[in-house]
Amino acid sequence: MRPSDFVRTTTFRWTLAVAGAFVLGTLLLFGFVYWQTAAFMTSTFDDLIVGELHIIAADASGRRLEHIDNRLRDDPRRIRLAGLFGPDGHRIAGNLESLPPGLTPDIPANAMVVRIDDRGRETENVRLVTGTLADREVLAIGRNVDDISEIADIVRRALTLGLLPAFALAIIIGFVLSLRAHNRLSEVNRRIQHIVAGDLRERLPTRGGDDPFDQLAASVNRMLGEIETLIQEIAGISDNIAHDLRTPLTRVRIRLERGREHGGTVEELRAVADQAIAGLDQSLTIITALLRIAEIEHSRRLAGFSDVRLAPLVREVGDLYDPIAEDKCVTLQVEAANEMTVHGDRDLLFEAIANLVDNAVKFTPDGGYVELALLQRGEMSVIRVSDSGPGIQEIEREAVTKRFHRSDKSRHTEGLGLGLSLVAAIVKLHGFQFTINAGPGCTVEMAGRQVN
Amino acid sequence: MSTLGTVGGETAAAVRGHKSMVRLLLIEDDKETADEIRAELGDRGFDLDWAPNGIDGLDKARSGKAEAIIMDRLLPGMDGLTVIEALRHEGMRTPVLVLSALGAVDDRVRGLRAGGDDYLTKPFATIELLARIEALLRRPAESRDTVLRVGPLELDLIERTAKRADRMIDLLPREFRLLEYMMRRKDQMLTRAMLLEEVWSYKFVPQTNLVDVHMGRLRRKVDRPEDLPLIHNVRGMGFILRAPV
Repeated sequence: MRPSDFVRTTTFRWTLAVAGAFVLGTLLLFGFVYWQTAAFMTSTFDDLIVGELHIIAADASGRRLEHIDNRLRDDPRRIRLAGLFGPDGHRIAGNLESLPPGLTPDIPANAMVVRIDDRGRETENVRLVTGTLADREVLAIGRNVDDISEIADIVRRALTLGLLPAFALAIIIGFVLSLRAHNRLSEVNRRIQHIVAGDLRERLPTRGGDDPFDQLAASVNRMLGEIETLIQEIAGISDNIAHDLRTPLTRVRIRLERGREHGGTVEELRAVADQAIAGLDQSLTIITALLRIAEIEHSRRLAGFSDVRLAPLVREVGDLYDPIAEDKCVTLQVEAANEMTVHGDRDLLFEAIANLVDNAVKFTPDGGYVELALLQRGEMSVIRVSDSGPGIQEIEREAVTKRFHRSDKSRHTEGLGLGLSLVAAIVKLHGFQFTINAGPGCTVEMAGRQVN
Repeated sequence: MSTLGTVGGETAAAVRGHKSMVRLLLIEDDKETADEIRAELGDRGFDLDWAPNGIDGLDKARSGKAEAIIMDRLLPGMDGLTVIEALRHEGMRTPVLVLSALGAVDDRVRGLRAGGDDYLTKPFATIELLARIEALLRRPAESRDTVLRVGPLELDLIERTAKRADRMIDLLPREFRLLEYMMRRKDQMLTRAMLLEEVWSYKFVPQTNLVDVHMGRLRRKVDRPEDLPLIHNVRGMGFILRAPV
C-alpha cells in the first residue's frame, strides 16, 4: 500500500480527526486557564495600586514625596512605579518620565510608560491609575505587569512541551492501529475473495481473543459452516432428485419410443400418451413436494403463526380420512377430548397431521387399526398417531424423516417418500418435538408447548 | 378427448347464450406457450387475444373486450401483479387467472391479494386451465335462494337437508358442503384441485386420492343404481354435476 493510499483510509482519517479535536480542546483549556489567571492577577494589581493611590493622596502634601520615595526604594524587583506631576504635566517626583495620555482618573488601565531611575530609561508595560489631588497635582501609581506575560510564557511552554508530543503520539498510535486494522481487514477481504470464488472451506482468521473483531469473525465462520452443511445437503438432495426424477422420466421416454414404433392405431397412441402424462405428473408432484419442504424449512411462514386449537384440527383430519380408512377396511379411531391450544400455523399443522394419518392408513394392512389421539402431557400437548402396520425399524427411524427415504417394506406401496420429511420440516419450524416410537406397529408423536 | 371438446364448446356457447365466441386475453411472454394455449382454447370455442408483455397487456385489458384475462405472473416490462393492481385500481372487474411457475403458497396468496381471482401453477393440464376459466366466467351470483335445485335434486340450505325427488338423502356435513358447491356450479367441470381448494380449503396436495373417495361416497348416496346419474366422473379430469336431459 502506498502512503497516499494509507492517508485515505478511514481509520487514519479518524485518527487525524480525533487528534485535531484533542489539540483544539487542549488549546481552549489552556487559553481559559491563562485568561482566568491574567484576569485574577490584573484585578489584584488594580486593588493594590488603587489602595496605594488613596493612601498617598490622603497624605499631607509634604509627606507625599517622602512616601513616594519610600515606596520606590523598597522595591527590589523593580515592579513599582509612581509619579507626581504638576498641573501643567511637569514631573515633580517619582520614577515615571511623563504622564501617558488618555487616562481616566481613578480607573486602572494598561499603559506603556517610561521608567527613569539610577539605571537609566526603560519602557515598560504597566497597570496604571491616576488621581488628581487637591492642589491640582496629578498622582500616578503603577505596577509592572511582566508577571502576567510570564504566565502566558509558562502556558505557552507547557503547551509546547505537552501538546506537541501528545499530538505526535496520537498520530503515531492512530497510524499503527490503522495499519493493524487495515492489515486484518485486508486478510479478511482476501479470504472472502476465496469464498466468493467458491472455496467454502475457507474461514476468516481469528486470534483466539474475545474482541469484537474476533467475535464477528467467529460468527461469520459459524455462518459459513452452516452454509457449507446446507450446500452439502443440497448436493445430496440433488442426487436424490436426479434419481427419483430419472426413474419416471426414463419410463416415460421408453413408453413414448415404443408407442412411436409400435402404436398402430389412434387408441394405442392415446394410451401411450396417457401413460406418458401420468409419468410426467408424477415427476412434477415430486418437484412440488420438494419445493414445499424447502419453503417450510426456510421458515418464511412464521408470520402466519397464531393460536391454534388442536382438538377441532384433529377431529377434522379424522373426518377427512375416515372414508379412506373405511375403504381400506382399517379402523380409524379419533380421540380428541382435551381442549388444547398451541402457537403455530394452522394450515401447516393440519398438513402435518394429515400426512401422519395418511401414512398410517396407507401402511396398515386390511383389518388393522389407526389411532389418532390428542393427549396432554404436563405442559405439552401431544398428537399421537399409532397403527398396527409393519412399524419402522430402529435403524430406519432417523432416515425416514430424510427426503425420499422409503422403507424397504414400503417399496411396493404408492407414494413419494416425502411425507415424513415434510412433517419433520413443519415440526422443526414450530420448534415441536417429533418422535417415532417402537411398536407394536408404529407410533409417532408430535409434541408442542401449550399456550395459556 | 371428444368429451373434453364438448365440455369446452358447450361452455363457451352457454356463457354467452348465443353463437359468438367468448373473448379472452392472454398475457404471456413465451410465444410457444401462448401459441399452444391459443390453439387449445380456440378448439373449445374461445377467441384468444395475445399480449406478449405487461404494458401491451394492460392496454388490451383496458379496452374491456376480454371477458376474462389469463396472466403470467412474471412478465417483461411490467410484472403481472402490477398489471392486475393497475386494472383493479381503474375499476376494471374483469376476472383474472394468474399463471405462475412460482408455486409457493405465499406467492399464490400475493397473487390473489393483488386482485387475481384464481391462481394456477405451471405446468398445468389444459383441462385444469379450461375448468378454471369456465369457473371464472360463470362465477355463481351471490344467490339468496335458500333451496338449491338441479334436476330432481334439492338442497335446503337452512334445514340442511337434501332430497332427490321424494327420497331423503342422509348427508354428513362435509358431504353436504361438497354437494352444495357442486350444485352452485352445475354443468361445470370441477377438477380435484379446485375441489380441494374450495371445499376443503386445502393448500396442499394429499398423497391419497382424498377427493375421489369422498366423491365416491357422495355419489353412492345421490345416484342409486336405478337412478339416472347426476354426478359424472370425467376420467382423469374431474367431476360434473348435470341434470338429466
